[in-house]
Amino acid sequence: MSDDPYRALGLTPSATAEDIKKAYRKLVRTSHPDLHPDDPAAEARFKAISAAHDLLKDPETRAKFDAGEIDASGQQKPERRYYRDFADAPGGNAYQQQRGFESGVDPEDFFAEILRRRGRTGGRQQGFGDPFGDSNFSAPGQDLRYSLEVPFLDAARGARTRITLPDGSGLEVTIPPGLSDGQTLRLRGKGAPGFGGGPVGDALITVAVRGHPVFRRDGNDIHIDLPITIDEAVLGSKIAVPTIAGNVNVTIPKGSNTGRSLRLRGRGVKPAKGEPGDQIVALRVEMPSVIDPALAAFMEEWRKTNTYDPRQGLFEVVPE
Amino acid sequence: MIAKYTEVEVLAAVPRLTAVRLSTFVDMQIVVPMRDGNRPVFGAIDVARMELLCDLAEQFELEEDGLGIIMSLIDQLHAVRQDFHALAAAVSSEPAETRRRIAANFRQGRSADED
Repeated sequence: MSDDPYRALGLTPSATAEDIKKAYRKLVRTSHPDLHPDDPAAEARFKAISAAHDLLKDPETRAKFDAGEIDASGQQKPERRYYRDFADAPGGNAYQQQRGFESGVDPEDFFAEILRRRGRTGGRQQGFGDPFGDSNFSAPGQDLRYSLEVPFLDAARGARTRITLPDGSGLEVTIPPGLSDGQTLRLRGKGAPGFGGGPVGDALITVAVRGHPVFRRDGNDIHIDLPITIDEAVLGSKIAVPTIAGNVNVTIPKGSNTGRSLRLRGRGVKPAKGEPGDQIVALRVEMPSVIDPALAAFMEEWRKTNTYDPRQGLFEVVPE
Repeated sequence: MIAKYTEVEVLAAVPRLTAVRLSTFVDMQIVVPMRDGNRPVFGAIDVARMELLCDLAEQFELEEDGLGIIMSLIDQLHAVRQDFHALAAAVSSEPAETRRRIAANFRQGRSADED
């Protein structure tokens, strides 16, 4: 921040407490990141004016600053996450109203959908409509929010499940394939009833995807670590590998090393639209748990005539 | 995993938030907790939203009704922005000829609105 908190607020040291409050309010209005989501510089400005205000709003710290006992840096506030970051999340957020393009809407129709919305009268949000401008006051029902934990494979492959509502009734939820953690599903007309003939609200379900002991997900790609035996690594092999849609036979090339990745095209998550992801198999050579005498004897023989140094590169870059 | 906060945890996460204020926000449906069984739980988005609500409530001495209107407008703004960005992305992936035609129609639509 600037060294002079007065200047940061556009004031001089002769400012009254009322001046400080007024100046701060005005700057919050022009610089609060949540009120200016498209202004990337807002956060830095807001931080500077907040720090200046924190210092000057308290007569005691202000007097100390004026006397030169403390400097303008004051105390640092912890990092804050702004609402705009959440409000902008891909996949939407539960507070959003009038979302235009949802997965259920035919893309052909979505311009028509915008025009249709524009033609509609009355507010969507219950309580904030304009009861005076409309003699037949009606308001849509409240949107109800739920959280739902979804098993990894259900989220990857798509599934149907039920959530139990507080009143004991159930609600059928269709999980689209490729659902990601933190995404919000909107079930139209599954919220609270409307008022005065207004439409029923929606159910908004925020999803948490559970982890999986074998699979990991990165977007539509599925990652898996695959242990192989030393003979499979040396000689190559064809082995069964689990994918989210069942086992697939995979050829392990001769001489495969730990860390080598095989890409199984199209074996990842298959979203309703868009390209399916891949499964990436990371190989890991695993020694047998017991080294039998025959293997040890073979290795003794082998190393007499074969030598390679996998550590050569290490000593070239590390100084002694 | 998404972070989940109980009422107690949310009060700890947002020091300026009081239990009274929280229950007012929930009653007004300015903040809508999720249901985990019968227990209300809050997400990280709710925490950020309540920070903003505290900014507005404290700095502008806004009452609940005023806060509700402002949050409703902010939410609408975000929805429109997101639609707008999605639309802009869709248009920008069209061929130049189509983009020119859309731009021309867009300008025409705007000036017609001003009449």
